[in-house]
Amino acid sequence: MPDWKEAIRTRLAPAKLDPASEAEVVEELAQHLDNCYEELQASGIPDEECHRRALAELEDRDLLATGVRLAQRPPSPTPAIGIAAFKGGYLNGVIHDLKFSFRNIRAKPSFSLTVIGMLALGIACNAAIFSIFNSLFLHPLPFAEPDQLVDLDETAPKWNLRYVGVSCPDSYEWRKDNSTFHSMAFFRGVGYNLSDRGRAQRADGAQVSHDMLDVLRLKPLIGRNFAPEEDKPGGAKVMLLNYDLWRTMFRSDPKVLGRILKLDDEAYTVIGVLPHEAVFPDRAALWVPLQADPNNISSYYLSGVGRLRPGASLEHARADLLRIHKAMISDGHRLNEFTFPVLTPLRDRYLGDLKTVSRVLLGAVGILLLITSVNIAALVTMRGSSRLREIAIRTAMGASRGRIVAQLLTENIVLAAAGGAFGVLLGAACLRAMVSRIPVVMPQWITFSLDWRFAVFCVVMTGAAALLFGLAPALQASAVDIRGSLQGTAACTTPPSSRRTTFGVLVVCEIALALMVSISASLLVQAFRKVLHTDPGFRSDNISTFRINLPDAAYDKPALKIAYFDKLLTRLLALPGIRAAGATSAPPLGGDHWGGQFEAEGGRDAGPQGENPEVLRVAATPGYADAIGMTLLQGRTFEERDDRPDSPLVVLVNETLAKHFWGNESPIGKRIRQPGAKDWYQVIGLLRDEKHDGLDEEVKPSVFQPYSTTISTVDHNDARALSAMTIILRSSMDPEMAAGAVREIVRGMDPEVSMYRVETMAEQMDRSLWTRRAYSWLFGVFAMIAILLAAAGVYGTVSYTVSQRTQEIGIRMALGAQPAQVLGQVLLDGMALVSIGVATGLAGGLWAMGLLRTLLFGVSSHDPLIYVAVALGMLCVGLLANFVPACRAASVDPMRALHFE
Amino acid sequence: MSAQPIDHELKKGSTELLILSLVESRARHGYEIGKLIETRSQGTLSFQAASMYPLLYRLEARGWIRGRWVEKAGQRRRRYYSLTAEGRKVLAAQRQSWRQFIEAVHRITGMDYA
Repeated sequence: MPDWKEAIRTRLAPAKLDPASEAEVVEELAQHLDNCYEELQASGIPDEECHRRALAELEDRDLLATGVRLAQRPPSPTPAIGIAAFKGGYLNGVIHDLKFSFRNIRAKPSFSLTVIGMLALGIACNAAIFSIFNSLFLHPLPFAEPDQLVDLDETAPKWNLRYVGVSCPDSYEWRKDNSTFHSMAFFRGVGYNLSDRGRAQRADGAQVSHDMLDVLRLKPLIGRNFAPEEDKPGGAKVMLLNYDLWRTMFRSDPKVLGRILKLDDEAYTVIGVLPHEAVFPDRAALWVPLQADPNNISSYYLSGVGRLRPGASLEHARADLLRIHKAMISDGHRLNEFTFPVLTPLRDRYLGDLKTVSRVLLGAVGILLLITSVNIAALVTMRGSSRLREIAIRTAMGASRGRIVAQLLTENIVLAAAGGAFGVLLGAACLRAMVSRIPVVMPQWITFSLDWRFAVFCVVMTGAAALLFGLAPALQASAVDIRGSLQGTAACTTPPSSRRTTFGVLVVCEIALALMVSISASLLVQAFRKVLHTDPGFRSDNISTFRINLPDAAYDKPALKIAYFDKLLTRLLALPGIRAAGATSAPPLGGDHWGGQFEAEGGRDAGPQGENPEVLRVAATPGYADAIGMTLLQGRTFEERDDRPDSPLVVLVNETLAKHFWGNESPIGKRIRQPGAKDWYQVIGLLRDEKHDGLDEEVKPSVFQPYSTTISTVDHNDARALSAMTIILRSSMDPEMAAGAVREIVRGMDPEVSMYRVETMAEQMDRSLWTRRAYSWLFGVFAMIAILLAAAGVYGTVSYTVSQRTQEIGIRMALGAQPAQVLGQVLLDGMALVSIGVATGLAGGLWAMGLLRTLLFGVSSHDPLIYVAVALGMLCVGLLANFVPACRAASVDPMRALHFE
Repeated sequence: MSAQPIDHELKKGSTELLILSLVESRARHGYEIGKLIETRSQGTLSFQAASMYPLLYRLEARGWIRGRWVEKAGQRRRRYYSLTAEGRKVLAAQRQSWRQFIEAVHRITGMDYA
């Protein structure tokens, strides 16, 4: 087809049109002449004659130029931008841009879906994890001025205890003498058998000091708070119901005030109902006065919460309490030499353990978002570059730079909005899925909800990256040689070195970031595997457990309690399928702790200033060790003769305790006692260490004492604590099958006693590992996504570079380069970037993995095997991502490549 | 009846009406408009591009027709012209006056109106 444009331009020259109008007229007339030419050709006329006759259409030169000039045809309408936009046409322009964007997005479905999918993935992960972090650590607690609330406790490093609880005398002195607190309250969680006119149910409650509502700045919904005199030892038996209990058990009846309810068979008068906001202490359905005895010096069983005075800092308060605490030593409170007040912001005390995990997860999803942004930036840049020709045509037709920028902006905004919308929806679904799997150990005042502000922030961030990189080609376009672009040469030449450098940097960043996430994931998964393979010291298979709490009123003597558990265990053992049964005051993973100090006869004397670790005391019936599956290393376990109130005092010890007192000597026959006590306990057996607090927790030195002798010799408080025992049943079948029969036996023995916390040991094991399993799993998923994204990024970038170098590669091959050489060269270029990324990622990993140290459970944060394995894996992924485009480059046909010219 | 070249002045006066009529039912590009005039008049009327396009541009500048670039799959984009609301009014008025003109000529000359 002849090129008519020059001929048309010559004829139009006298009209002196503006370039944009001229370009449009030339294009239209050239098409007209093309049609004429084709028609003439089809009728068999020689080409030369066709050419002449077609041109004859423009014969009357003056007519054309004058006519066109007179017509003064306006250029195509250009939607106004900026201030001009308000003069009208703005909406039309936006609608036009939107339509055009949707058409473009539909025209390139794979590109659009990739961008939208990556955005959605990045935003969903971030929105979900940040929402969890936000709910845990940023969302204010549901109390007035929650920043003033401080958890109060005591720590005893020499007893190897981080938190020991507050002693009664300390609580009184702290409250009386401090100058930094507005108010202070103390409490302890207690479980009760709650009965109302024959209906009994298990209820978690709290014994709280009368000032608790003051500290929380709350008032009873109806009725009144505890009076100070009701909070003294021997005070009136009164109670406050929490809102939920009042609603469910008493159908919100205001006449509940003055009603008598029974707690563990003792009558209590309801004096008020707590407001809905009273969710602290956690899960307390009812409150009774604490009535702490200021003269009880030995028990550290209280938890405390204080409200700081306005302006008082945590540091001041800490110094203030330490001053009071130390002053008490001279008044005879010698134990205060070993303990120190410890003050923690309320939220940190309950959720502090999750802080590192949440932050690390937040870091991981942040990196994911970064990789997503980098990937999208690279994709948009590539797409923009491949559209240079289109941009050039539109510039040639008179589109202003602003016009083109507006169009590209609209297109990227549409993509970002679609990705963002999907991301937020996906994030909400992920959050729901994660929250539904969170076990019930989370405090009730935590509510999880998607943080919309953060989701919007993610959309804006990623969208901004897309916009920024999407605009670059539009701005470059003004510098492009329009004629060259229109002739198609720009699309075939090697991309400029600046763009190649940009892509190179993006690839290196992606690989490095993905490598860091992968190393973290590998370390955490390795740690999780190690925890899973840890020997817990007991066998969790086919074990079911439940708790029994004997009401003090009906079982006021140790003999009654001993008799009850004896009878219960005998009946349970008679059930078919039950192989062993035992009762314990503190089963593993149950969260129970009863501690004390011991000294060994003839053992090393720690002395008052020496280290004397807190020893876990466990009261157990003779069948316990067998039922829980603990391993006896030396000596014997309890027998019936040890479990009578008048039996000689004997104990079993674990390996850690034996090692502490006697090193490698056998502990059998050795004797221990509480410091200064007159009774000695003889060690009759050595048990393998059990992981009492969790598979990834340290083993504590432990002493196991027969239940009967223990409850007969301890003080009133401890005896009351020993009313609650956990029954352990080992069966030869599915433990849940026996549950019905067990319930019948418990009900038959005493209808006032209910069994609660019925669960299998396997469930408890699962729950204790939940957090670790969850974050290891999440990290694994994030690492997979990061690797996939990085691989897609490398593949996309190398493919683009190869497609831009087709002509150069064609020339090389025409000059004799072999396909293998081309393949090698492209692979080398790509792998150089991947290698730099891997090296950068390794360096970053070495630096950053220290943050994970507390989560690694014995796996070194610099484990060389993991680093090498992950780096090799990443190199393989990189090689794969490079290989496909490299093969494509090697199969370039030189003739076709050069034909682009 | 063989086609005879029509008088230049007569042709010039009718061109606007012809173009407006052809783009009334649907949008058409310049070459199609030229071809339709030629085939439907059985060769009696024909326009060179040099005269037809300036006329199209003039009609567009007056707001009687609107030109729009349209892309179709696998083809180059083309400029299509369609009738505007104002063009529709003009077309109706022109049709009316041409009808009156022809009827007047018919009454005077006694020629058949074909």
